[in-house]
Amino acid sequence: MALYKLKEFHAPKNMQEAINILGKSQEAEILVLAGGTFLHGLEARGLLSDVEELVDIRKAGLDAIRDDDRGLLIGATVTFSQIQTLPSVQRTPWLAGLSDALAYPPVQIRNTATIGGCVSASCPFFDVPTALLALGATVMVKGGEAGERQLALPDFLAGLFVNSLEPGELVTAVAIPKCPGNGASAFIKLEGNANDLAIVNAAAYLSVDSQKTCTEAYVALGGGVAETAVLSDAARQILIGSKLDAATLQTASEAVTADISPMSDHRASAEYRGAVAKVIVRRTLERAIARLA
Amino acid sequence: MSQLNVVGQSLERPDAYDKVTGGKGYPVNVKLPGMLHAKMLRSPYAHARIVSIDASRAERLPGVKAVLLPKDVPQIKFCPVFFVPVQAPSMVLDFDVMNGERVRYVGQPVAAVAAITADIAEAAIDLIDVEYEELPAVFTPEEAMAEGAPQLHDEAPNNIAKTPFFEYGDLEKGFAEADFIFEGTYETQRVHTCYLEPRVCVVDMDRQDNVTIHVTTQHLFGTREKLAFALGIPETKVKVVKSPYIGGGFGGKLELTAMEPVAALLSKKCGRPVRLEQTRQEDFITTTRNPIKVYLKTGVKKDGTFTARYAKSILDCGAHATHGSEVIMVHGAFGLFFNYHAPHQKWEGYTVYTNNMIGGGYRGYGAPQGSFAVESQIDEICTKLNLDPIAMRLQNARKQGEPHPFNPAFTLATYGLADCLREGAAKIGWEKARRRDKGSSGAKKRGIGLAVHPVWVSGCMGFPDIYEHSGAIVKINRDGTADLATASMDIGSGQIATLTQIAAEALGLPAGAVRMSSAGDTDNLPFDAPTHASRVTYSSGNAVKEAALSAKKRLLEVAGSMLEVSPADLEVSDGKVSVRGTPSKTLSVAEIAQRAESPFVQMTAQGPQPTVMEEKGTIIGLSSLAPKSNPTPCAAQFVEVEVDTETGEVAVLHAVYAHDIGRAINPKAAEGQVEGGFQQGMGYALMEHIQFDPETGSCLTTDFLDYKMPTAVEMPRKIDSIFIETDEPTGPFGAKSLGECCVITPAPAIANAIHDAIGVRFTQLPITPEKILRGLGKI
Repeated sequence: MALYKLKEFHAPKNMQEAINILGKSQEAEILVLAGGTFLHGLEARGLLSDVEELVDIRKAGLDAIRDDDRGLLIGATVTFSQIQTLPSVQRTPWLAGLSDALAYPPVQIRNTATIGGCVSASCPFFDVPTALLALGATVMVKGGEAGERQLALPDFLAGLFVNSLEPGELVTAVAIPKCPGNGASAFIKLEGNANDLAIVNAAAYLSVDSQKTCTEAYVALGGGVAETAVLSDAARQILIGSKLDAATLQTASEAVTADISPMSDHRASAEYRGAVAKVIVRRTLERAIARLA
Repeated sequence: MSQLNVVGQSLERPDAYDKVTGGKGYPVNVKLPGMLHAKMLRSPYAHARIVSIDASRAERLPGVKAVLLPKDVPQIKFCPVFFVPVQAPSMVLDFDVMNGERVRYVGQPVAAVAAITADIAEAAIDLIDVEYEELPAVFTPEEAMAEGAPQLHDEAPNNIAKTPFFEYGDLEKGFAEADFIFEGTYETQRVHTCYLEPRVCVVDMDRQDNVTIHVTTQHLFGTREKLAFALGIPETKVKVVKSPYIGGGFGGKLELTAMEPVAALLSKKCGRPVRLEQTRQEDFITTTRNPIKVYLKTGVKKDGTFTARYAKSILDCGAHATHGSEVIMVHGAFGLFFNYHAPHQKWEGYTVYTNNMIGGGYRGYGAPQGSFAVESQIDEICTKLNLDPIAMRLQNARKQGEPHPFNPAFTLATYGLADCLREGAAKIGWEKARRRDKGSSGAKKRGIGLAVHPVWVSGCMGFPDIYEHSGAIVKINRDGTADLATASMDIGSGQIATLTQIAAEALGLPAGAVRMSSAGDTDNLPFDAPTHASRVTYSSGNAVKEAALSAKKRLLEVAGSMLEVSPADLEVSDGKVSVRGTPSKTLSVAEIAQRAESPFVQMTAQGPQPTVMEEKGTIIGLSSLAPKSNPTPCAAQFVEVEVDTETGEVAVLHAVYAHDIGRAINPKAAEGQVEGGFQQGMGYALMEHIQFDPETGSCLTTDFLDYKMPTAVEMPRKIDSIFIETDEPTGPFGAKSLGECCVITPAPAIANAIHDAIGVRFTQLPITPEKILRGLGKI
């Protein structure tokens, strides 16, 4: 039991109503419920004792999905299970990394966890945000003083359990831009058992030209290698322009060390996380390459 | 052994349907009219003096009905362990329910609240103001034994609660005779049994001190004895209601904790029943398997024969000794020294207080910690001396017909270790796998490992002060079925199935004709020792068989009278009594029971028929007896693992587990025991670990996100259970035990397999991916 101070439970029927509630309650301790898995975890640990209002946006009409030439636009309350059913997620190598990440959580989580919730949590141990980072995702925000904003995911993830939302703002959707050419992505998670948050995870997106030269590369890491999931620019620089041979993959994997600062906790030491991050990145790159046409 | 009809069949467990449809028989589902809900306030400090407690703010919270403070609790010290008398001289009497002076671990209860809802009770405990004066705390036994360490109990200098030892032969002579001497230190961690149903009780205590309690317990009569003692009331004032089953125990519900007396005292204060359910966080810090550090030194001849063994074991019992004074004994006896022959042996055990959580019972009870040391070291010896690990173990093991190592009054009448090893090795392809190239390229290396547990128990006969006897009531009904009543608790491991099958076999009734009574309590059931120590199939099984035979005797007397033959000429099979050699003279059990329970004069269509007075009376059998022996089961475990040398992850690919259990009463249920035991043992080997903040002593692993145990995904795709049926003469239909043997050997078998795969020996559990990478020198 941890919601001692809860006074209001809002269930807005549309986005505007949700934004209005958030706008009015700027001084209150208010939290948005998009799927509830993260909130449940916080509640079980007694971390919601100051929350006064909850806004359940699951019926606020934020569950639209647009899948066209521009890419994917996924409403904030679309669940992991729903994303898994999208033909493009199931079939295109470009989105295979997202598909990998969605397959890790148990089905009970997939049926309720949402894309908006998982990015808003800004939890470095989650899987889907790492996969989204490698796909160049953008977070769509409405409400607050700005009215409407788009934030690149790296800018949105401000810190450990801290996002960049201003008071009154709500995540309404996540956009994944269309892959321009021959591209593929992959994701791998290292976990203690099948019911775990990541000890380390990694996602990679690679595209190549007709000569099999790498034209674009994104390498993302999560799981306690930094305060948020992060992109490795060092790895990217090594990969672009290369032939993606084994030696390059090894060098790129080792280069991620420059972009991470792993943490120690009772689950793993920083040393261990740092060491396996390189291994997981290399394996993720290999998996993505195997998916290239 | 004559033909068995019900024993040996994999019948559907009688409790299965109820459990998969919600399990209304669990204590957690008990609701009484007017019931209140309680919560306990727990100490945030590992060691502190309580300066003052002010509960006035809590008392004023609307919905709060009573606050319980230490001054309201009888200040009595005792041993809360169920299977020994409450003030057993062999145990340490240091436990109290709630004292107002001092807390010795993070989580020790200091006050409690009863309220109309659990949420209000939880809010209220936050309003109780406790002033503490922090004291220096100590978290390792070595520090606790050192000079100048904080002293936790006045009667235990240097924080040593108990120091048992065994010695025989001449140790120096034995080591002098050795060709090689092996030494090592092996460490195990704190783990939780992870039963699914939390500890919970619903208690009604009236002003005349009459107590009725529904509780998750492995022992009805132990709960009665310890709760009455804690409350300072006569034992028969307490009635413990038998739930049809509890949601797992594994040794984790084998002692009284503060929960039961606190709920009782709150109930008395409020005049209403009180329910107290622990959260998973609370359960994680209530009891645990004790961590033990074992130093083991073994002298061997070139051919692998043991000449001498010396061991020293240091057990961290936490803030109170409770089980720790008995676990150390079982560990020394059955974990270390009585499993193999050695002419010269010495063992010293230390049960040491620290400011950690209290230890408890957990399947294996000290043996897994010992087995990890012994079976790991044997592997080291075999590697160094190039000996065959199977032959070397058999060479040092006991043989069938030898005296029982712990109690010379018994013999090892049945002992199938060699068969376990032979059949297990064949199943996993041991010879071929040992010779296999481990693979010089690639990140993943495979290895195969073996561990055995040569001597274990079917009950605990031989240890001092332990309750052993069991009782049963068998009643034959007019429809030809029978009811069985015992105080033996089903804790999830199939006791209902096993005992009803034994009763049906003994009575000559068909499968499914015996039902375990779903009602009963300590007022109307005969005493039974706890469901622990691998004893129910053997000890309770023998009592059930005895009661059934007693009912059968009466059944045949009535049948003999009806058929006008001597009962000695009758036999029962499949619910029918017939005259031996004259199959046409047959009565159904139902007909006989109807005759026995019929009125004085039976009114029939042909008019009144007089009946025989000697045939009257319910056909019933009773028993209450101690077991005849303590036959040892034994086991050989083989595993194949794959080690990822880049990430340190270990996958268990295949497990083969061969047990000599005398007879499998219900083979499918037995397989379930083995697979569950392997799951717990594998978790112990690779991932499970209750961890604490080294500075504050607060638990860091209080849920299943932080406390990792193997899920279905991590379990090997293949577990082969092999049962060697040696037909134990003292067992019910030849049965011995199975409950614990199967949890003892997975850790050393997996450690040995990892060594086979990567050539690195691990002596500290759990063998996490991080330890593997350190062992490989990669970090």
